[in-house]
Amino acid sequence: MLKYVLQRVLFMFIALFLVSLFTFFLINSVPGGPFENPAIRPEVRLAMERRFHLDQPLIVQFGHFLRSIVTFDFGISLIVQPSRDITDILTERFPITIVLNLLSNFIIVPLGFFLGSLAALKRNRIPDHAVSALVVVFISVPSFVLASLMQYFLAFRLGLFPMIFSTSQNWDWDRLHSMILPILALSFGGIAFITRFLRGELIETLNSDYMLLAKTKGLRTHQAVFRHALRNSLIPIMGMLVGIFVTILSGSVVVEEIFAIPGMGRIMINALLSHDYPLIMATTVMYTFIALVARLLIDLSYSIVDPRIVIGGGRSAARS
Amino acid sequence: MRHEANSIPVDNVELLKNYTFTEDDFQFQEKGEVLSDTVPEDPPVGFFKDAMIRFSKNKASMVSIFMLLFIIIMAIFGPMMGDFHFREQNVQWDRLPPRIPILENFGIFDGTSVVTVQVANMPNWESVYIETVRTFYQTAGARTVPMAEIRIDAYANVGAEDVYFWFGSDMLGRDLWTRLWRGARVSLTMAAIAVLINLTIGVVFGAVAAYYGKKTDMIMLYIMEVFNAVPTLIMVIIIATRLGTTMWSLIIALTFSGWIGMAQMMRAQFYRYKGQEYVMAARVMGASDKRLIFRYILPNAIGPTITQVAVAIPTFMMTEAFLSYLGLGIQAPEPSVGVLLSQGQEMLLTNPHAVFFPALVISILMLSFQMMSNGLRDAFDPTLRGH
Repeated sequence: MLKYVLQRVLFMFIALFLVSLFTFFLINSVPGGPFENPAIRPEVRLAMERRFHLDQPLIVQFGHFLRSIVTFDFGISLIVQPSRDITDILTERFPITIVLNLLSNFIIVPLGFFLGSLAALKRNRIPDHAVSALVVVFISVPSFVLASLMQYFLAFRLGLFPMIFSTSQNWDWDRLHSMILPILALSFGGIAFITRFLRGELIETLNSDYMLLAKTKGLRTHQAVFRHALRNSLIPIMGMLVGIFVTILSGSVVVEEIFAIPGMGRIMINALLSHDYPLIMATTVMYTFIALVARLLIDLSYSIVDPRIVIGGGRSAARS
Repeated sequence: MRHEANSIPVDNVELLKNYTFTEDDFQFQEKGEVLSDTVPEDPPVGFFKDAMIRFSKNKASMVSIFMLLFIIIMAIFGPMMGDFHFREQNVQWDRLPPRIPILENFGIFDGTSVVTVQVANMPNWESVYIETVRTFYQTAGARTVPMAEIRIDAYANVGAEDVYFWFGSDMLGRDLWTRLWRGARVSLTMAAIAVLINLTIGVVFGAVAAYYGKKTDMIMLYIMEVFNAVPTLIMVIIIATRLGTTMWSLIIALTFSGWIGMAQMMRAQFYRYKGQEYVMAARVMGASDKRLIFRYILPNAIGPTITQVAVAIPTFMMTEAFLSYLGLGIQAPEPSVGVLLSQGQEMLLTNPHAVFFPALVISILMLSFQMMSNGLRDAFDPTLRGH
């Protein structure tokens, strides 16, 4: 087990290295640079480029970047928030995006499970059709449209929620209250995704032999569903959660824009559009790292959900 | 001579149960005559042909096919039906509500819109006034002003009495009907190509990884994990800024890590089937790797992937809408469903039709693809063969 974890962690860092290498050369292949601006005089530009090692060969620049990663000193932002320490920017903005994301997941999982099992148990009856209609709406109306609709009707017309993100600096009620609408807007896609998947999965399971056995033993339908059927659907859904988590991470860019949330979204896009290389690389490393850690955690927790899964076991035990 | 059982309903079990056999139904048989089943005279039905036969018998699948055909036909011919060109701007006729010939007489799509005005100003609107929806008082500072929401003829208001924008017009006075179908054409083409590329890469990659297993599988799995870890949004933005926002660069952006899901699913499916006895039997009989992969395992394993493919097309259109919202959608003046959605969002509260129609097209696509994928999954399920 420990050996397996160590192996995975080692692989994680190799993957991190490969992704940053790839991103680094890709962003440098985009024409233009951070100081290519008619308002900047050529000699100033050259001086700036020398100051930030931009005049050196790419491979040397990549070496500088690697050193900055190892020392956890990402340097300063060039354009987006000039001269500000990148570590500072990240520690200020990342927690907001992550909390939004995690809270959305806390809504997605129970609601997705509820709607999915409701639709499967009441198959081809009114609840099923209602849930299917909801899923189609959630999937076919983009989150930015749903977000603006909620902002207009729930916040502006009815005044139930603040229109935009609270300016409060602490994690107090004001801030949480203003996060409800963005969280909802981020959750719709995931809810639809899990609901649809669980419905298909459960309908198949409900006809299986072990469900018949469970019922023959005298279990009620809901007992059989909750203790036997749902537990078996957990494994694939946990795998999907990583995908949902990562999707929300990029999806939150739009929602952050609508509700004026000072998260990572705007920073990331501005960095990419203005060639703010140190900031782009720092965000890429952060996002990649988070995705890899999420995947690792989920993989490790499989054996808790289903004890039959032996993590890191030999070929014969793990795959059959 | 073979016995002709004309009157016996051999095909229908229910009728057969109640059938009373008479003496005529039986015949004497010569001693020594060989009795055997005849070889079926119909040509043998292959797997894919059988799947297609079963698919076409499924009502829901056929309905979905018709809905899809409708959208595709509209995407091809829709832009030619209206009186406008997709990039023809009539700035004086901007943001007009939908107005459709015939239907306008029934009170829907009649080109009217509701505006809020001061009661004192109402005479100014007299020429286009239709009815008063409601009146209310608004307090502005110390004054309380009587206000009214009135329904007006939006077309007459801008001097466009004879013009019909079937789905309304956008903020530059472009015809949304023409743009929507033109956009559907662009989006569908883009999504279909992206999905095909994803499917091809994903199936081959996943199949090879799982079939050969061991080291090959390990290395290929690592490659997938690395691709999966790349932050999609960052990659898409870099690709869009590097290659520009043409259709092909968007396709590259969408396929960059889009094939991973298919490959993972295919890999899991292959592991499920490759150890089964029938595969082993085929191997013992001397089947080659290629034959084992494509003839023996793939037909069994393809089911879940097909379901995923069908839903992937509308999902791609949504991703494209998302990129459009960030300003990375397809280059103007070319529309796409995503571009229309994000442009419609800007005038969502005053002109909801601009979002409604594109969203409706995606919904129809979503529904019909979902129905079709269910039908395809059943059709491609080998255990249901012959039913």
